[in-house]
Formats: sequence, structure tokens, C-alpha cells
Amino acid sequence: MHICINLGGGRLITEDPLTFITLSPIVVGLTLLILPQIVPDSASDYIKKISRPLSMGLAIAILGITTMLFLGQIGSIDWLNIGQGSYVFQSEPVSVLEPIGVRWVVGVDALSFPMVWLTALLIPISMLVEWDAKKGHLFFPLILIMEGALLGVFIVLDLFVFYVFWELTLIPMFFLILVWGGDDRRYASMKFFIYTFTASVLMLIGILVMYFNTGDASLGGSLTGHHFDLVAMTSQAAGDGLIASEGLRHFVWILLLIGFATKMPSVPVHTWLPDAHVQAPTAGSMLLAGVMLKMGAYGFIRIAVTIFPESTVVFTPLLIILGMASLVYGAVVCMGQTNLKRMVAYSSVSHMGLIFLGIATMQPLGIAGALFMMFAHGIISPLLFAVAGAFKHHYHTLEIGSMRGIAHHSPWLAGHMMLGWMASLGLPLLAGFVAEVAVLIAFWMTFGWLVIFPALTLIITAVYYLNSMQKTIFEGGDPHVGVLPGSLHGEEPRDITWHENTGMFILAAMTVLFGIMPFIFWDMMSDWSTEFMLETLIDAMNAKGVEP
Amino acid sequence: MQLLLPEMVLVTGIILSILVPNLGDAKFRIPLTRTRLPLLIGGARFKATSDPRVPAWISMFALTIALVYSYLEIGSTSGEVGGVIEITSFSRMMSLVFYASLLLTAVATTYRMPSRPSTRVPTEKDSEKITTVLISRLMDNRRQVDFHILLMMVGLGMSLMAMANNLFFMFVAIELASLAAYVLVAFHKEEATGGEAGAKYFIVGSVASATGIYGMSLVYLWAGNLDFDTLAVAWSSMDGLDPFAVVGVGLMLVAFGFKVSAAPFHLAAPDAYAGASSPVAGMLATASKAMGFVAIFRVLIGVAMPSEGEAIWFCLLAIIAVITMTWGNLAALTSENPKRMLAYSSVAHAGYMLAAIAAIGSGLGDENTTKLVLIAIVFHLTILVLFKLGAFLVLSLLETEGRSHRLEDLHGMARRDPLVAGSMFIFMLSLAGVPPLSGFLSKLLMINGIVNISAGSGSESVTAILPWVESVDIVFWLALAIVLNSAISIFYYLRLCLVMFFEEPENAKPLRKAVHLRNSILVLALLTVLFGFGSGAEYLLDLVDTAVSSL
Repeated sequence: MHICINLGGGRLITEDPLTFITLSPIVVGLTLLILPQIVPDSASDYIKKISRPLSMGLAIAILGITTMLFLGQIGSIDWLNIGQGSYVFQSEPVSVLEPIGVRWVVGVDALSFPMVWLTALLIPISMLVEWDAKKGHLFFPLILIMEGALLGVFIVLDLFVFYVFWELTLIPMFFLILVWGGDDRRYASMKFFIYTFTASVLMLIGILVMYFNTGDASLGGSLTGHHFDLVAMTSQAAGDGLIASEGLRHFVWILLLIGFATKMPSVPVHTWLPDAHVQAPTAGSMLLAGVMLKMGAYGFIRIAVTIFPESTVVFTPLLIILGMASLVYGAVVCMGQTNLKRMVAYSSVSHMGLIFLGIATMQPLGIAGALFMMFAHGIISPLLFAVAGAFKHHYHTLEIGSMRGIAHHSPWLAGHMMLGWMASLGLPLLAGFVAEVAVLIAFWMTFGWLVIFPALTLIITAVYYLNSMQKTIFEGGDPHVGVLPGSLHGEEPRDITWHENTGMFILAAMTVLFGIMPFIFWDMMSDWSTEFMLETLIDAMNAKGVEP
Repeated sequence: MQLLLPEMVLVTGIILSILVPNLGDAKFRIPLTRTRLPLLIGGARFKATSDPRVPAWISMFALTIALVYSYLEIGSTSGEVGGVIEITSFSRMMSLVFYASLLLTAVATTYRMPSRPSTRVPTEKDSEKITTVLISRLMDNRRQVDFHILLMMVGLGMSLMAMANNLFFMFVAIELASLAAYVLVAFHKEEATGGEAGAKYFIVGSVASATGIYGMSLVYLWAGNLDFDTLAVAWSSMDGLDPFAVVGVGLMLVAFGFKVSAAPFHLAAPDAYAGASSPVAGMLATASKAMGFVAIFRVLIGVAMPSEGEAIWFCLLAIIAVITMTWGNLAALTSENPKRMLAYSSVAHAGYMLAAIAAIGSGLGDENTTKLVLIAIVFHLTILVLFKLGAFLVLSLLETEGRSHRLEDLHGMARRDPLVAGSMFIFMLSLAGVPPLSGFLSKLLMINGIVNISAGSGSESVTAILPWVESVDIVFWLALAIVLNSAISIFYYLRLCLVMFFEEPENAKPLRKAVHLRNSILVLALLTVLFGFGSGAEYLLDLVDTAVSSL
């Protein structure tokens, strides 16, 4: 009720901006989907016509609001001074399911805000890249619903609502793959849904065990006496400890890890990702790689590491093994790929491995590196997928080997591809470099010579990127002709369209911007990690007898 | 008597259904005079009262009144009638479930087995084809009365069963509902599957009932009385375990297990569901199942539950629950017939609820956690009427144009009627337990209850996972079994959705215009969403809470 009243007054944007940016896309998206079915034909045609500009307008408005939040024009927040365990723009809690203690509480801190901004940025860009999508009256509202669900995951501070949004992201993505996907889309969408759903119900058990151990009765539901409030859980965990039995704590941690690692995804539960990516439409791939994978990393840090720091310390070797396996396996498999999208997908698996390694270092630098990796990969991989999508669109194939020297035919595409590849392999002055270097330095500080394995993997990365780039863009007998793929049937390929170009251009610009000025987000991430280290991890490490 | 108003309305409805269609202009001449008194029964029937639509109107009207009254009285009524009937909030809540399910069945049947007042008797001039059609229409007209009387009988039996205070009376009420239900299953006897389904369901059902009654007789031998209160006292004061009591309860479990279609007594269920018309199948999957669970509540938790420690039936029920849900889901995975698939999914759902009851039987929980689990189960039974019956209503809608027993019949539904296909999508996701739909909330409450009861049982002192895993009570793994089974189930629910959205329809015409049926489906879909979160869910949970408190 509270929410509705606020919406009516129009004050919601300034007073509770986070609730607004989460709920408005879902409401608008659902309306645009359902309304044409129940109104007369003439009105329905009109709604279908305005659905694309309307969705785009809302997405840009949300990007504007989020940017204003960051720049301090709404609420004037000092992003460098958000203490561990406190959140800004926290809303007045609204009871959603009083009997079991579910409340609508939102808030962001330095961990979640970059992800929120990233989501708000990627949505309009992915809409732009697929501006000419077929069945646009369904496509754009679905992306809007996706936006609401993704933002919800990052901003809610109630684990029940978190879980609802977490699962809600599956449904629009499922339809995006299923309706606009490639030839094998059914298999891919089913696999995607089943994998992530199974993992997240295991995570749900973990959340429920935490739930029934919560104490504060004033927050609890009238029926159960427990609550899902993340802030209260965190402070309880820091105080008396959330769960008495340490064995159970470890068990819950493992359940949470399964849920989050599958989403990230980490070896050995990564196999849904390449299939989903190859079949997904461009916008779907961009959001999947750009934001959905980060949900796993975000949830892992926000819930598993924050509430069970001791278990994290105990299971550090497991994290290193998983991270290392993802990193190395992803990179090695990449080398053997002939499908462009599949290659980019495996490179995502490889990069996500670095996040686990960054956390495992138990250094502020490493954790900040992992956070920045989440952000940097979130702007680089959508660029790569946009490029791959453009190949599919204009060359009708994704086989790397089937074309040679296309720089002459599609100079813009070649340029974006080059920048994206370079950023992804960690070229200095581009966003990916900062994160990789931070994680590697921290890794070296903690584990010494072991750093040679992740470092060597970066070379493998360089090999596969340079190899595929050289083949597709430059190689060929005559630089003015190249070899065009058979799938074109002798037609002359076009260069990318204006909207694809604009979308990629913005992403490329962001890659450069955050490469040259990483401090825009780096400072707040670094502060957050230092504080997190001091407040939470140091104690846990001391308790477990690990030298900090 | 006012307490039993809904049941009285149903009885009146049954009597009216018998009388009204038979009203006629027969007159009785008083001997030796010319005065003729109208006798009303016999003679040429009045046109208005012999309209074939009348029985459906009567039964829908009676069920609506019963439904509304039960709903209004959930919070306020309690009282005893005649020593064997005790009306509580719980029994009214369950009647609400039964009546809602039966009312929707009645609505759907008006399209599935339509009455056509304008049908004429075939003449010799008609071709053979037209004659067949006309005869089947005439038969449908004639059968209206039978169907609706039986439907109201089912409602009467179920409702009385929920109020029973006495084991014997409960069995009689169950039999009243069951016998009527057997006939309903076999109602389309001219179709081969209808007769087969009815026969199978009847034979297995009567064997199960006989076993249950034998069990009841053993319990009577042991306690000398069949009042639930007396039995509960006798059970808790029992010294050791009396073989009569234990075997008796065990045999009764067979009868109830058949009603809720728990493995291994579920084998007749898929055939019955597939052979019966879709509305009746939906009734079996919701009302009949709820009836079985009420009986299990009464006997296992009301009587055979020790005041502390593990109940004797705990292990057995836990094993049955896991087998039931796994078997149901695996069988549903392989079935190509949507009705069978929904039947197996119904078996799986019975498994989830049995697992929750088993958790109560473990004796680890206190009063609060036990209540939580009960709320979860009753809530689940209530909202099953929304999305399980909703799914069967969608199949009924398809059946009105012929058939719904192949996956192909669902092909391209989204193109033929986007809103109905969207509703079916919601029903399927809710059955699978995807948030934020109500099916998720109920499953969450059940898992939460189980985890709540059990996870504290692990040793507190161990510091590693494996010792903790060894020390935790077996109940905890029931929660894991539910979760893994939900994960399997998502596959077949999604497959059904896929064919609706992404296959070419065999028949591209829009679905038949069945206004009330279609509206019911849309309302059910809306409620499935509304009861999933926010004030809707809070309201229903409050209602269920009131009901369970009176148990």
C-alpha cells in the first residue's frame, strides 16, 4: 500500500528511488504484454506500436536516475563512506508476507551499486543493439521485466524477496532464448532453466536453515517468529553467530555455494552457459553475460562470505580449486572453439574463475579486484557478444574458420571486435586490465609462486583471442577481398547498422573510460573491501588460525 | 441445525434435482366429483421445469450457497450435532475447499457435457450420422440430473467427513463421497476408457476401503469405542504398543493412502484420471485428495501421535512419501498424455504433503512447528484448487472440442487463445513451485516446516560437514528430497508449456467460446498469482491459521 501511495504522489523517485527503478519496469513490462490481449484490436495495435519507444524511454529514465544517484544529485551520498553493513537509500520496510516475516527492504552499498548502474546501462544498450528485433512488442517488454528482476536481485535486503527476484530473472530469459534464439533453442532454454532452477532450490534450503535460526522477534513473522532480513542476519552473524553448529554452518555454506557457483558459472556446473549463449539472441547474451552471471558472484559475496566468513576461510582451498579450474579449463577449451559465441562464453567461465580467486586471496586488494572484475567483465563481455551477434546478423554464421579478412567489408565491426578482444585479454588502459592486475597481485601476496598458474592462463587467453582475431579480421590473400563465409551465398556483406554501432560504441567508450579512470568505481570498491576485511574476515581468519 | 446449513442446502438440492425435472400436469380426480386436483408428479412434463439445464442450475446454486456460507462461517462457527458431528473452523475450511472444487467441476461440466434444450428426437428421414449425434445429445440431456445429484452427494459426503468426530461416521461419510465419485469417474460409459477407468477405480477403491474398515474394526476391538477423543486418550495411555491398535491404524492408512494416491496405492489413479472427464479428474485431484488428507490428519496426528517422541508410523510414512514423490515425478516425465501427466504430478504433490506429515511424526518439533507444518499442508490443499483444478479446467476446455489426451492437443494454444495459454503457463509454474506464485509459497512453507523441525537436530559441537551430516535427523533429508523432486518436475511442466507456445496448432481456429469456463480459468490464474505474495497470501494464511488452530 505504502508503495502505491508513493507512486501516486510521484515522490517515489526522490524518496525511494530504488523501489521505483525495480518495480516500474516490471509493472510497465507486464502491462505492455497483457494489455494488447484484452483490449479491442485498434487499441491493441496502438499499444504494440508504442511498446518499443516506451520501453526504451523507461530504460533510459532508469539509467538517468541511477546516474543521478551516483553523482549525488538525488540524495547526495558520499559513496566512499558507506560503512560495512550499512546501506544507502534504505526504504521504509513494508511488510509483504507478515505471517512468515517477509518485508520489502531495499538499499545499496558499494558492493551492489556498481552492479545496479551496470544493469541500468546495459538494458538500454541491449535494446538498442536489437532495435530491429522481430516481434518487438513482446521483445522489449520482456527486457524491461528482466531489468526489474535483475535490479531487484541487487537491491533487496530481504532474502525471501531476493530469492523471488533471483528466480524471476529466469522467466524472461527463458522466453528470450526460446522465442528469439537459434536453431537449437529448445534444448538450450530447457537446460538453462533446469540447471539454474535446481541449483537455486538447493540454495533455498540454505536460506531456510538460516531463516529459522534468526533471533530478533521484533522483525519476525507472526506465524513463525523468524525473519528474512539480511541486515539483521548479518549483524546477528557478526555478534553471537547465526547458526550454533559449525558443521551446519559449513553445510549451509556449501548449499549456497552450489546455488551461486552454478549461476556464475564455475566448473564443473558451467555446462549450461555455452549452450544458452550460443542459442540466445544478442540482447539475451549481453544481459546473461553482463549481469546474470554477476548475480552469482554478488550473492556469494553478499550472503555466503558475509554471513559465514569462517566457513569461507575454511573452504578457501575449495574456492581456489574451483577458481583455478574455471580459469584454466575455460581458457583451454576456448582455444579449441570454432564458434565465436561459444568461445566468448567459455572466456566468461574463465574470467569468472578470477572472481573466486580474488575472494580466496583474503586481501582487500584481491576482493576489490574481484568486485572490479564483476563490473569490468560486465561491460566487456556484452561488447563481445554484441560483436558476435552482429556477425550472426550480417554474415549468418559464427564459424571463425569460415571467414577471412573481413576488416575491409565491415570496418566498424572489425574495430569494435578488436577493442573488445583487447579489453578482454587484459590490455593496459582498458577496464579488464585493472581487475586482472589487482587480483594477480593479491594472489601473489597471499600464495606466492602459485600465481604463475593464473598468470600463464592470461597468456592462453591472449593466444586464443589474437588467433581468432587475426584470422577473421586480417588474414587472407588480398586485404581488399578476404574470404567471405559460404552462408552469405556470394552476397556482399553490409557493415553493422547504426543502432548496433551506437550500442557497441557506448560499450567501447565505457571500456576505455573505466580503463583510464578506474577510480570512478574502484575507490568505493576498495574502501568497501578494506572495511569488509577489517570488520568481518580478519576475525574469522584469527578464529581459524590463518595468518591474515 | 443452522450449523449444518450448507449440508442442508445440498440435501435440498438433491431432492429438488429429483423432483423438479419430473414435475408434470397429472391431475387427480376426486372420486364422484368433477374436481381435478393437480398432482404435479407424472403426466406431461412442464416445459420450463423439464429443461435439461435445470439440474445444473440447481447444483451450482446449492454449491454456491454452501460455499459462501462455509466461507462466512470459518471464523465463527463451532458446535456439535448429534454427538458425531463437530463443526469447527477446520471443517468449514475444508468444506470451503470441497465446495469450491465441486462448484468449478459443475461449471466445467456444463460445457464438457452440455445440455441442449433444443434437441429433437431423430426421425426416420435423418441420416445415420445425424441420428447418432441427436441420440448422444438426448443422452447428455437425460444424464444431467444423474451427474449433478452425484456431484452434490460427493460434496455432502466430503463435508460431513470433515466434521466427523467419530471414526465410524467418518468412514461412512467417506464411502458416501467415494461411491458417488466412482460413478462420476465412469460417467462416460459409452467411451471405452470411461468404463475401464471406472471399473479399475472402483475395484481398487473398494479393496482399499475394505482394508480400512477391517483396520477400523481392529481399532474398535482394542479401544471399545470409535470417538476420536477417546481413541486419542487410549493411544497416549497405551502401555507399550498394542498390536490391534498398530495394525488397525496401519490398515486404515491403506485406505487413506488410496484416497491421496500415495505409492504404492496410486496405481489406479492415472487410469482413473485419464478415463474420467477432465472436470471430474480435477475434482479427484483436489477435493478427493483433500478428503484423504483430512482423514490422515484425524487418524495419524489426532489419534496415533504420542505426546512426545517419535510416532510409530514416522519411518513408514517418510519412506512412502519419498517413494511417492519420486515415482510420481519420474512417471510424469515419461507420460505423453497431459491428463496422465497431471495425475502423476498429483501423486508427486501427495508425496510432498506426506513428507511434511512425516516430519510432524518425527516428534522433534514443538507445538509451534507442528502447527506451521499443518498450516503449510492445509494451505497447499486449498490453493491446489486454484492451479491443479485450473489446469484440468483448461483441459476441459480442450475436451469440449473433442479430446485432450495427447500432448498434440495442446499444440499452439498460445495462438488460439493467448490468455488461456498464459493461465496454463501460470498453473504449470505454480505446480512446479516457481516464485512468486502461490505454489511456491506453499512448498516453501512445507520445506520450511521440515527444515525448522529437523535442522536443529544435528549436533552443535561438530565443526565439519560430514559428522554433522551423520548427526542430523533423517527428517532433514525429506526437505532435500522435496527440493530435488521439484527440480525434476520442472522439466515436464515446462515441456507442456513449450508445446503451447512453440508448436503449430493442428487446428488453428480459436478455442470454443465457453464464457463461464474461460472466465473461471482466468480468475483461477489471477488468484494463483494473488495468493502468492502480499496481502492476498497474508489473508489466506490467516484464514488457514484460524482453521488449523481449531484442529
